Amino acid sequence: MNQEQKVSPSPRRKPETSKIEQGTSSAQAIRNIAPRRSFLGLMIGLMTASIAGVMGVLFAGFSLFPAFKKLSVERDWTDVAPVDDIPDGEPVKRAVVISQDGGWGRFNTQQLVWIVKNGDHLVVYSAICPHLGCTINATDSGFICPCHGSAWARDGRKLGGPTPRGMDTLEHRVKDGLLQVRYRFFRQGVPDKHVIA
Amino acid sequence: MASLYDWIDERTGVKRISRAILDEPIRGGARFAYVFGSGLVFLFLLQAATGIFLTMYYVPSADHAHASVAYIQKVVPMGSIIRGLHSYGASAMIIILVAHLVQTYLFGAYKQRRELLWIVGIIMLLIVLGFAFTGYLLPWDQEAYFGTKVGTSVAGEVPVVGEVMQRILLGGHDLTTLTLSRFFVTHIFLLPLALLLLVVLHLYFFRRAGAAGPYHHRDDAKVEPFYPYQLFKDMLFIFIVFLVLLILAVKFPARLGPQADPTSDYLARPPWYFLPLFQLLKYFPGKLALIPTVGLPMVLFGLLFLLPFIDRRPERHPLRRPIAVSALALALGGSVALGALSKYQDATHPEFSAKLRAQEEEARAFMKASFVPQEIGRSIPVNPPIVKNPPVVGSRVLKIYFANCANCHGADAMGGPMAPALVKLAKHWRLTKSFLVDYLLGHTREPAPGSMPRFKQLMPEDREAIAEWLLALDKPIRAMEPEAPAVAAATPSAKAIEPKKRTTTLGGPRAIYRSHGAPLEQPAFPPPPAAFTAHCAFCHGPRGEGNIGPRLISITEKPNRRPEDLLKLLTDPRAYGLKDPMPARFPQLSDEDRRQIVEWLSKLK
Repeated sequence: MNQEQKVSPSPRRKPETSKIEQGTSSAQAIRNIAPRRSFLGLMIGLMTASIAGVMGVLFAGFSLFPAFKKLSVERDWTDVAPVDDIPDGEPVKRAVVISQDGGWGRFNTQQLVWIVKNGDHLVVYSAICPHLGCTINATDSGFICPCHGSAWARDGRKLGGPTPRGMDTLEHRVKDGLLQVRYRFFRQGVPDKHVIA
Repeated sequence: MASLYDWIDERTGVKRISRAILDEPIRGGARFAYVFGSGLVFLFLLQAATGIFLTMYYVPSADHAHASVAYIQKVVPMGSIIRGLHSYGASAMIIILVAHLVQTYLFGAYKQRRELLWIVGIIMLLIVLGFAFTGYLLPWDQEAYFGTKVGTSVAGEVPVVGEVMQRILLGGHDLTTLTLSRFFVTHIFLLPLALLLLVVLHLYFFRRAGAAGPYHHRDDAKVEPFYPYQLFKDMLFIFIVFLVLLILAVKFPARLGPQADPTSDYLARPPWYFLPLFQLLKYFPGKLALIPTVGLPMVLFGLLFLLPFIDRRPERHPLRRPIAVSALALALGGSVALGALSKYQDATHPEFSAKLRAQEEEARAFMKASFVPQEIGRSIPVNPPIVKNPPVVGSRVLKIYFANCANCHGADAMGGPMAPALVKLAKHWRLTKSFLVDYLLGHTREPAPGSMPRFKQLMPEDREAIAEWLLALDKPIRAMEPEAPAVAAATPSAKAIEPKKRTTTLGGPRAIYRSHGAPLEQPAFPPPPAAFTAHCAFCHGPRGEGNIGPRLISITEKPNRRPEDLLKLLTDPRAYGLKDPMPARFPQLSDEDRRQIVEWLSKLK
């Protein structure tokens, strides 16, 4: 910065400089003005920085808070179907309504589950692929994810493809003849099943 | 550091640019009188930054705008402060803009080839008022809704073009979600872009003409660079403005009242900067209202635009421009007096003051109440019926169908003039395979002239196959995938169809998402009497929703279809002008059957 040279001497200089100015060279005068200029510059910087700092904190809190919000893992039981209606052997795809927290709204959206019933034994799988989240389809012998070719057996065991784990089972119960699940989202792409919502 | 700066400078010329900006000569030295322009630049940046972040949660839809603002205000950390800064910042912008204008006016700084600089400034004043007007609606609370309603109605009063103008503003004939969308887009895209361009133009004209300096000649010899002398004063002013806004935003959160309710008798009052016009409106009844709403602003802004051309004397000292200065004093003083008078009248009016206090109280209660999220979407899943034993269907069945059934029931099985549709037989009538086989043979009915003939000529296995296929048929044949016409319904679970508790949303209309054309949330449904199911349901639908026969829901509300009319109609349909096939079909009903059917129909709403 060399604005110093640009300051033109003026008859109404500030007191501390005007005294010095009398009978001294302009170079000396500039050297004496410099401290005042850098002080003002510092003040400008401080004020700018404090406004920017306050706004930075405000905006960071405002926009980043969902990432640090405490996770509430409690989700209600969701009706799936009358358990007697579910055929034996064949996997059945059902949509369930789940409530998702959308901030200003509670969104009743639908998610798919696969139900496999074998006599008294019943398993409910999330239809979300543990790899990257596509929807799992049933085949004659088991399940596949059409996006990247992961495959699972009827019992949810991983058979092949890029999936890091078997199909994700969901907690279920039968109440008054009605099959209910507790729907969950799981972290994708990791070998272990972690609830994330 | 220095070498990095040099490196950047060699590639960008940043040193020359910053020198050109910072070393701007301030004629007559730095003054606090000049701080308002920089103050406005700061406020514009503050409004832009807070505005951008507010849109992170804001939803510009009449259904959700209010809930999303309430969420920002009550739940999002710092949301109340950021919204407060934006809201108070808007008022500050108008105050400082007026201060900037007054300073320029008093200093005669629009003179000496600064006409364009001044005119651009006046356009920016209009744009800032546009910001205030469009931003006011966005929270969609009572105040916003009714304030905008009045504001847009004022536009509609303008002769000749008023109605079209109002429709353009509203995006239709009424204040709806479309109004909100266009106000939003104007507020966050169109006006900011326009203002940004004009700020650049304004600064360019300003630097080209140079700072006007003081109106006297005492300091003519003194020149100070913008940095640091003027910038320090500007920054000090900005800092104080920021502190004031921050304190206001923290201590007195920006108001948000209950959601807009068009049926309420809300007493609308404009924001403070429109109060003078509002007060004037009281003195001009009927057609004369155009004087304060249209005439006066047009004259005022016309004068402002033309000011540099009207006042061409080089004299800049305010004391030697008595007419100009007294006109300004009159305009400002008049505005303040009118605004104050309007406040005074509201405060002393026995009814208005009580109503305004009650509204204030309502808003405060709403602000205190904890946030309740809106319920969005349906609460029952739309599932296809469970497939128990998927029937294997080949082209053989279709061949049988086209050979025997399609003539009457239609090539798509959606029915024809002679016979009803065959889709969803299992779902709607709970028919079984044996029933259908018997029906084909004619065992379960008395074939009458004009009714479906017996199909004894079919092979037993063909009858079985077509019955099975019919039970699985749930959409028109054309609409089916070539290889799989059968997504079958055995017994769809009653649970899936039964209406569940209704989802309600706060305030706005209930949001229902339809997909696959599936019925959602059917109203409470009284079971039909057996006679209806046996004789009427085939044409009028199992629930009277209509099929090839007309819809019967709320039929008793129609003229000549009161319950007693229906009783007679079932006895002698021709008396009511009905045509075939309705009258010929069911003369065999007993009186009790008729009574039950009519009783049920009158409950069917």
